[in-house]
Amino acid sequence: MKRSKRIEILDQRAVNKDGFIDEWPEMGFVAMHSPYDPKPSVAVENGVITELDGKKREDFDFLDQFIADYAIRTDRTETSMAIPSLEIARKIVDIQTPRKEILEIVSGITPAKMVEVINYLNVVEMMMGMQKMRARRVPGNQAHITNLKDDPVQIAADAAEGALRGFSEEETTTGVARYAPFNAIALLIGSQVGRKGVLTQCAVEEAIELELGIRGLTTYAETLSVYGTEKVFIDGDDTPYSKAFLNSAYASRGLKVRFTSGAGSEVLMGSSEKKSMLYLECRCLYVTKGAGSQGIQNGSVSCIGVAASVPAGIREVMGENLVAALLGLECASSNDQSFSNSDMRRTARTMLQFMPGTDFIFSGYAAEPNYDNMFAGSNFDAEDFDDYNVLQRDMQVDGGLRPVTEEEVIRVRREAGKAVQAVFKYLGLTEVTDEQVEAVTYAHGSKDTPKRDVASDLMAADDLMKRGITGVDVVKALAESGFEELAESILNMLKQRVIGDYMHTAAILDENFQVMSGVNTPNDYMGPGTGYRVTGKRWEEIKAIPHRINVNEF
Amino acid sequence: MEVNEQLIRAITQAVVEQLQKNGGKPQNSTVSGAQSLAGKTRMRPKHSYEGAVKAKQGTDPKEIVIGVGAAFQTEINYTIGGIPLDEVLRNVRAGIEEEGMVSRVVKVLDTSDVAFMALQCAKLSGSGIGIGIQSKGTTVIHQKDLYPLTNLELFPQAPTMDLETYRKIGRNAARYVKGEKVTPIECTNDPMVRAKFQVKAALMHIIETEQLDPEKGMIVWEGGK
Repeated sequence: MKRSKRIEILDQRAVNKDGFIDEWPEMGFVAMHSPYDPKPSVAVENGVITELDGKKREDFDFLDQFIADYAIRTDRTETSMAIPSLEIARKIVDIQTPRKEILEIVSGITPAKMVEVINYLNVVEMMMGMQKMRARRVPGNQAHITNLKDDPVQIAADAAEGALRGFSEEETTTGVARYAPFNAIALLIGSQVGRKGVLTQCAVEEAIELELGIRGLTTYAETLSVYGTEKVFIDGDDTPYSKAFLNSAYASRGLKVRFTSGAGSEVLMGSSEKKSMLYLECRCLYVTKGAGSQGIQNGSVSCIGVAASVPAGIREVMGENLVAALLGLECASSNDQSFSNSDMRRTARTMLQFMPGTDFIFSGYAAEPNYDNMFAGSNFDAEDFDDYNVLQRDMQVDGGLRPVTEEEVIRVRREAGKAVQAVFKYLGLTEVTDEQVEAVTYAHGSKDTPKRDVASDLMAADDLMKRGITGVDVVKALAESGFEELAESILNMLKQRVIGDYMHTAAILDENFQVMSGVNTPNDYMGPGTGYRVTGKRWEEIKAIPHRINVNEF
Repeated sequence: MEVNEQLIRAITQAVVEQLQKNGGKPQNSTVSGAQSLAGKTRMRPKHSYEGAVKAKQGTDPKEIVIGVGAAFQTEINYTIGGIPLDEVLRNVRAGIEEEGMVSRVVKVLDTSDVAFMALQCAKLSGSGIGIGIQSKGTTVIHQKDLYPLTNLELFPQAPTMDLETYRKIGRNAARYVKGEKVTPIECTNDPMVRAKFQVKAALMHIIETEQLDPEKGMIVWEGGK
C-alpha cells in the first residue's frame, strides 16, 4: 500500500507509543462494566448481612464477608438500596444535596450498587461530585522524593525544596531496599527545612515500614495495599483482616495511615475473576473503609498503564477516586505514575483531579527529574513545576503548589544538606562531605552529584537499625549540632502522634503544626458562592509566577 | 534498543496471531473497534508437567538455586526486552560460577510472584541464597531469612535489563554466599517504562500465571543446560 504522509506523521506521534488494548472481560481488561459483574442486592437478618450482590453468605469469599461485616451500615442498607442508582447519581451532582446526606445514603449501598451509580456519571459529573465530596475544604498535594543513587543528601535537599514549593506530604522509597532508614531520616530532616509541618513517609516492605514509623523516623504511612480478589490477596500473603491488623498497629502508635489500591492490579497479577476494574476497586475501597482506615491512595496508581490501555480507562480512574470520597475516605488521587508518552494525554488525565481538587491531587508528584523517580516515573516531575504553576494561575485553581525564587531554593537545599551532614556525623553514620552538600545544593538530579560508597552506606544503615536509633535521636543530634529550630520542628512532628488529631480524615499540618482535616475544616461546597475559593493571599501567591513581563523595564 | 523494540513487536504480533487462531471465532459484533476477544479464557494451552521431578532440598553450602517462571522456555522464550531466556539463564549461571559457587535451576510452578519465587529458592538452596526470574525477565536475589517482600536486590524494570546485568546478578548472588561486602548492582530507571510496556507485562504475566501447577511445586529444570 502506498502510504499516506499524514498517517505516517500521525503514526509517529508520542501517543501512538502508548499501549492500547481492546476490552477483554475474561482477563479483566475492562474499565467500567463487565458482563460478569454481579447485580446489586442485599439481605439483612438479625443485623447480619446474609446476601451481598447476588451471593449468599455461605458462598462469600473473605472480601465479601469482610465488606458485609464491617463496611456497610446494616441499619441503613435496606433504605439506601431501595433508592434507584440513577437518583443517587443525580444527588451526587445536585448542588442542593449536601455532602452529609450523600455520605449517609452511600454508607448503606453495596459495591455492585456503587458501580451502577458511577456508571451513570460522565467525567464532568464525576468532577462536580468530587468538588462536593472531597473530605478536606482545601485541596492538597503530595511529592515523591527519591533518586537513583538513594543519596540521602539529595533526598533532604529535594524534600526541602518540595516543602518550600507547597507539598503537604512527601513520600520516599528506595532503589536498594536496605537504604530505607537513611532515606527516611533524610526526608524527615529535609522536609522540615523547607516548610514546618510537612508529613513524611517511606514506602518499603510493610514490616520495615512499620518499624520506621514506630521509631518516629517517618510521620505517616501509605502503602498498605489491598486488592479486589481473594487470589491476589493470598498471593501477597495477606487478607483484609491482616491489613486491618497492620492498620491498628500504626494507630496504636498514633501514626496517620492510608491504604493503597487501584484499577488494574488484579489484571496485572492475572486474577481479575472477569470483573470490571471499577467493581474490583469498589471492593478494595469497601475493605479499606471496613478496616477503619481514614483514607486511601487510589486512581489505578502503579497499574495505570493497564487502566489507561482500555476504553474509558481514565474515566474509571476518576470514578474510583470519587468512590473513595463517597465512602468518606481521604483520597490521595494518584497522578503519581507515568503512563503516557504524550504530554497532551498525561496533562488531560490530571485535569480530572486538578480542577475539582482532591485531598491530595498527586500521591506523588515527582519533585525530582523523572529519571530519579524510583516509583518508575511520575505523571508530572520537577521539570513541570512552572507549567503546573501556570495552570494554577490560568484557571485560578489551587493545585497545592506555589512559585518560588531561585535564592530560596538554593538556601533551603543547602541547609537541608548541612543538617543531614551534621546528623550523620553525630550518629556515627557514613561521612557526608562538604563537596557533596555543595553539589546537591545546586543539582537538578543525581547525574549532577558525586557517587557515594554504597556498601559502606548499607552497613551503616543496617547498624543504625540494630542500634535502635529513633526520631528522638535525630532531634538530639540536630539540637546538639546547632540546628535547634529544626530539632524543635521534628520534635513537634513526633508530638503529633501523642496528640493524635492528625489521624482524623484527610489531615495535614500547617506551618504552626495545626491540623487541617475533614473534621475541623470540612468541605462545605454547595454550588457557586460556597466552598473553598482561591482568593486573598493564596491567590496573590499563585499569581506570582517567574518570567512575568516587567512593564517598568519594558 | 532498536533491535529490542523490533523483537517485541514481532513477539506481540505472534501473540496476537496465536490469539486469533485460538479463540478467533468470527463474531457478528456491531461494535467497531473491538476485536473478537469475548469468550476467550486463556492465552496458551496448558503445558503438562506429567512425570516432572520434584526439586530436592539442597545441602551444598556453595549452592545457589535459580527459580524460573512457569512459562520460562516453554510458552515464553524472550524477556519483555527481547533477550532470549536461554541467554539470561546462561549468564546468571556463568556469573555464579565465576565467583566459584554452584548453581542449580528449578522451575517454580506454585507461584508467579517473583518475590515468593526467589524466597522459595533461597530456602531450597544449600547456601540460603536464591534467585527468582520471571519469564518476562524481572529478577530478585533473596535470602532465606528475609521477609518475602523485601530482598537483597530487586530488578523491577525488566525492559531495562541486559545480559551483562544478568551476569552481575549471578556474581553478586555468589558474593552474598561468600559473605563479602557486596555493592549492589546500580539501579536503572526508565520513567516511561509503564507507558511502553505495562500492557505487555500484564499479558506475559497472564501467560505465566495460567501455567501454574501448585501440586507440582518446584521441579528440576533442565532448561539451563
